[in-house]
Amino acid sequence: MIGVVRSESVRIGRRGIVLGWLGLTAVFAVLINFVMFNVVPQDGTSMTDGPGVAFPTAQTLLSADGIIAGLGAAASFFGVVTVAFWALATAGDYSTGLVRILVAAEPRRWRLLLGKWIALAAATAAVSAAATVVNVVVAPIAAQAGGYAPDAWSDGTVGVVLAAYLHLYLSLLVWGTLGLALATFTRSAGIAIGVGVGYVLLVEAIIAAVAGDASDWLPGSVLTALAQGGNAAMTLAVASIVGAAYVIVALSASFTVFRRRDITD
Amino acid sequence: MIVSTETLRREFGSLAAVDDLNLQLPAGGVVGLVGPNGSGKSTLIRMLLGLIAPTGGSASVLGESIERPSRYAGKVGALIEAPAFVPALSARANLGSIAALRGIPRSRVNDVLDIVGLAGRGSEPVKRFSLGMKQRLGIAAALLPDPTLLILDEPTNGLDPAGIVEIRALLQRLGTEGRTVVVSSHLMTEIESICSYVVVIRFGVLMFSGPISELMERADTTVDIAAEHDIDTSRLRDALTRNGWTVSPKSAETLSVSAGAADAARINRVAAEAGVTLRTLAVHRDSLEAVFLAMTGSDDGELARDRDAALSGRDTAGARR
Repeated sequence: MIGVVRSESVRIGRRGIVLGWLGLTAVFAVLINFVMFNVVPQDGTSMTDGPGVAFPTAQTLLSADGIIAGLGAAASFFGVVTVAFWALATAGDYSTGLVRILVAAEPRRWRLLLGKWIALAAATAAVSAAATVVNVVVAPIAAQAGGYAPDAWSDGTVGVVLAAYLHLYLSLLVWGTLGLALATFTRSAGIAIGVGVGYVLLVEAIIAAVAGDASDWLPGSVLTALAQGGNAAMTLAVASIVGAAYVIVALSASFTVFRRRDITD
Repeated sequence: MIVSTETLRREFGSLAAVDDLNLQLPAGGVVGLVGPNGSGKSTLIRMLLGLIAPTGGSASVLGESIERPSRYAGKVGALIEAPAFVPALSARANLGSIAALRGIPRSRVNDVLDIVGLAGRGSEPVKRFSLGMKQRLGIAAALLPDPTLLILDEPTNGLDPAGIVEIRALLQRLGTEGRTVVVSSHLMTEIESICSYVVVIRFGVLMFSGPISELMERADTTVDIAAEHDIDTSRLRDALTRNGWTVSPKSAETLSVSAGAADAARINRVAAEAGVTLRTLAVHRDSLEAVFLAMTGSDDGELARDRDAALSGRDTAGARR
């Protein structure tokens, strides 16, 4: 299994993937902080959430959690980026024809898929860390630019940041697993990414408008709750359990499809 | 036997790409796997490598059932259709990735790059490689596990003439090092020059399997002759016909006599007895390509018609049942 993970890591570690993934994540971390501290009013008025964005309240921004609020606010955007790169890494094996070589070399296909998942999970840990670092560096600057003076940010900062990192990482792990499953089913990074982006920006918003509270159980809402360490709609414990269920279902379906599929590409 | 199949079958919808194939491949040497487009060669190779599952029958590779390809995957190297790599990664990184997957020491990467003549280009990204260089890299990847069985699909595709000669020499050398090299190719000259054993498949059905010399026994032989003076041609033809040979004109001056090399001297004698001096006497034997085409059909259009006829016959038979 170590060999499979090392093999995947070589391919995931290529410059285009690393720079693209880290770069997009950093851009979203910067953007969400500047947008958030500029549009959330300090008078306590709640902001309407946008597609893929869950704005915190001014009270949250001024509390100790404010320094990492951007991570939770843009959790769906980080999720979409993660879906994209997990899908690229998975579907790329089909578009390049590499899957023929990989399966011929390691016919136990479950090992190939699990090795890929482990390698991508490790990469996601690094990307989550980068997002956290960028957020912590940018948040004070964005807060000052938005007229916020959060005195509480020094209270227990290390613990708050570590917890935020862990929550973001867990949510991205679920997003990534969904991306891997989509790419395994469709064998196309483009379709998988299109489905992921379309779902987050359109489909879940439409379902939320129609279904009301039932939409709290959909991936976007659950994983935002997970990234925020729990929210009004769902506690961290429930979000973690539902997220784990998504991972188990997505991985099981991927294993089943990949194990039975003819490699004719 | 290094590969053995028993009524092996694979259907895609109503089409049997491999049709109850019984095949035994002996170990050692270079084996040619030939057949026209769509004959089932790639499907057979994919089944042997565990990429697709058969719909019927059974097969073994290196004595292990193809239902458990992990038991022999470590001893088999393959280049399947076009070589596949991550374009942005260097040749060395691509091979390193496959070596890691197979649990092969990284030092082997430089060895195989050296074998295929890419040692000096290992640090370049594969996207800069020509088709021929990618082909060499594909062969290098197949050689990584130092395989007992090497399966190569169109290995000289895209190579320049010097590269083709070099790779053919490499394949012949690999075939004499105790391993078996299976080469799938459309190029009969290639098969003729490097293979000792040949398998011919058509519509997924085995047409021939055996030493290439045995296949060539099916080749038609003629003795082509020309009289010194054109005016004697008809007299020469009459004399040969009277002696029981079938003679047909090959050109205005040359006659083609259906006879083997052993008859050449007798033909010369009959011509002399008829008072004709021969300007030319040459034994002509059909090439492997001619034998192959006689066995499988002459062109893709003919093959398509034959295949449609076979399928409609099968459908009609099915409807009758």
